[in-house]
Amino acid sequence: MRSAVIALCLAAASAARADGAAPADRDPPRRRDASWAELYGGRFRSSRLFSMPVADVVGAYQISLGGDYSLLQETGVLSSAGALAVGFGDIAQLEYRHTAAISIGQTTAPVPAVGVQLKVPLPERRYLPSWAVAFRLGVPRRERFGAMSVDEAVTDLYLVARLRLGAVTLHGGARVSAARIDVVDDGPGFHADRRLVLPTVGAELAMTSEARLVAEIGLAPQFRFDPDAPATPRIHPGGLGRLGVRWFLHPALCVDASLGYQVEVAGAQAVDRPSAVVQWDIRLGGEVFVPWGALACRAVGIFCE
Amino acid sequence: MNRLLLAFLALAAIALPAAAQPLPPVPLPEPEPETAPSPSPSPAPSPAPSPAPSPAPSPAPSPSPSPIPSKPWSEPPPPPPSPEPEIGLPTVLASPTGRLLPAAIIYSRSSLDTSGGLASDLRVGLGDVAEFGVELTDLVRARESAAAAPHRLAPYLAATFKMGLAEHRLFTGQPALALGFRKSFEHEIDGRATRIAELYLVGTKRLGDSVELHGGGVFWDASIRDADGAGNGAAAEDFLHDHGVRRQLRGFGGLGLRALADAQILVDLYWVPEFCYECTDRQIRLKALLSWGVRYDITRSIKLDSGVRVPDITAADLLDAQIFGQVTFLHRGLRRAVDHLR
Repeated sequence: MRSAVIALCLAAASAARADGAAPADRDPPRRRDASWAELYGGRFRSSRLFSMPVADVVGAYQISLGGDYSLLQETGVLSSAGALAVGFGDIAQLEYRHTAAISIGQTTAPVPAVGVQLKVPLPERRYLPSWAVAFRLGVPRRERFGAMSVDEAVTDLYLVARLRLGAVTLHGGARVSAARIDVVDDGPGFHADRRLVLPTVGAELAMTSEARLVAEIGLAPQFRFDPDAPATPRIHPGGLGRLGVRWFLHPALCVDASLGYQVEVAGAQAVDRPSAVVQWDIRLGGEVFVPWGALACRAVGIFCE
Repeated sequence: MNRLLLAFLALAAIALPAAAQPLPPVPLPEPEPETAPSPSPSPAPSPAPSPAPSPAPSPAPSPSPSPIPSKPWSEPPPPPPSPEPEIGLPTVLASPTGRLLPAAIIYSRSSLDTSGGLASDLRVGLGDVAEFGVELTDLVRARESAAAAPHRLAPYLAATFKMGLAEHRLFTGQPALALGFRKSFEHEIDGRATRIAELYLVGTKRLGDSVELHGGGVFWDASIRDADGAGNGAAAEDFLHDHGVRRQLRGFGGLGLRALADAQILVDLYWVPEFCYECTDRQIRLKALLSWGVRYDITRSIKLDSGVRVPDITAADLLDAQIFGQVTFLHRGLRRAVDHLR
């Protein structure tokens, strides 16, 4: 059985096209005479799968803005997560993003964080993984329940690696999370914090020059607190998984669609199994890349090569 | 002079009708690989060989007028554009297929039936490997008690995500494969809030030019919640997954038979959850849905289906059967816009 699965994976890899990246192989030119086709026909790199960071940065003089949304995870509530990344040089980026966590409402909560991601400047070699380190400083996310307010924050240190094997790209890493929850009410309130080591893995399979199948699975901090029966909150690891497609409509515009699995979500019972597919959700999102350096050069002649 | 004039008129009398006729089949010499190399390694000669470098097929070098005009040979008509491949539809009649919509193709299907049901399905292909859609389905039903007659829960709004592999992608003969997930928004009526979700794996295999087989397995889940507390003995909330995997997993299949160039006979079997509000043991059961009918290709982008649907074949109640009609549109405008954007 295992050999059959391996053979199927290898066949899939060989059948898929090797080039899953943007069609051009160079960054958008920062020249005053660059055409729009040159500006937006260049190479754009994403620094994430769906929510997992990868060992890449968006690149110098570029901005990436992405997010995804679901109306299905908790009925009637639009859950969303977004990320804004600004490249600095070829190996660093500053970012503001909603890091993955599971809130006390049992949804995949967008807990905001600001951070920096550094790509280890090693030459790319066949069968040699690339590495990146990301630090995300958690910004408290506040929820109010009457007079009670609940602040959740997650600060992360990521170490991720990427290995390209033809059409297949493997990603793996670990996330050291310091999660904190503060409950403030008329009384003394409650507080809990915990440090967690959370593994995460992902894979990409380039199916065409514009589309990739993406799978990721990992653990995320999960907050537990019931505002109706206040007690000391708890923090546990919770599982998240996504399987979907990233489709580059254009080198600078990507559409994401995926189905997601979360161990416990809104309305779920205390212990749910993967067979509870009624708790899974479908997420739709995208990512757009802006070559701001090239645009500024073309418009006013600054940041030119 | 008169002889020359007569000879010219005679030639014109022969040549003009000939020019008005389709070209007769003139035997051409076999194209030699050295003189007309083909970029393709295929040994078959191209159906439209390049005329310029080819050896003279007729006594054309003569400047004298020829009964066969030389212009058509020197300027052949441009080859017709290659026909777009036929788009496999994502559903048979009720059950999903292993086909995926091509990138940026928009699919819409609207249907109605004799019991007053209205349904609609809108999808878009994502990158040739996935599709996303939203739909209003009228197939989900509920009944007050086990003895009561079922009634339709509509409109039931759901979203669909499906991804997969085209036929012959991994190896020759590989069926088209798709993994799909459909989940509804919460539907609240009569004090009950219900949801459904399904995960399916389906394969589609074409046999020859006229037969298409579809088969797979579906893993259903659903929930019913007493939204206003008037449970009448039933559980406040019931999940299908609480009753075991055996009650969630079902097989399904379909058959397409192209009887004419523009018409297919279709049969399929699928499963749909049915809710029972006051049942005390299980409030959710899967019911087998059998459909058969005909799909008529009005154009390449418009299909018209009509047939019969039996919502619960175990009940063997033909009075419950519905005659339905549905029309499908395939829109290529977004595809053209994406191509233009690139």
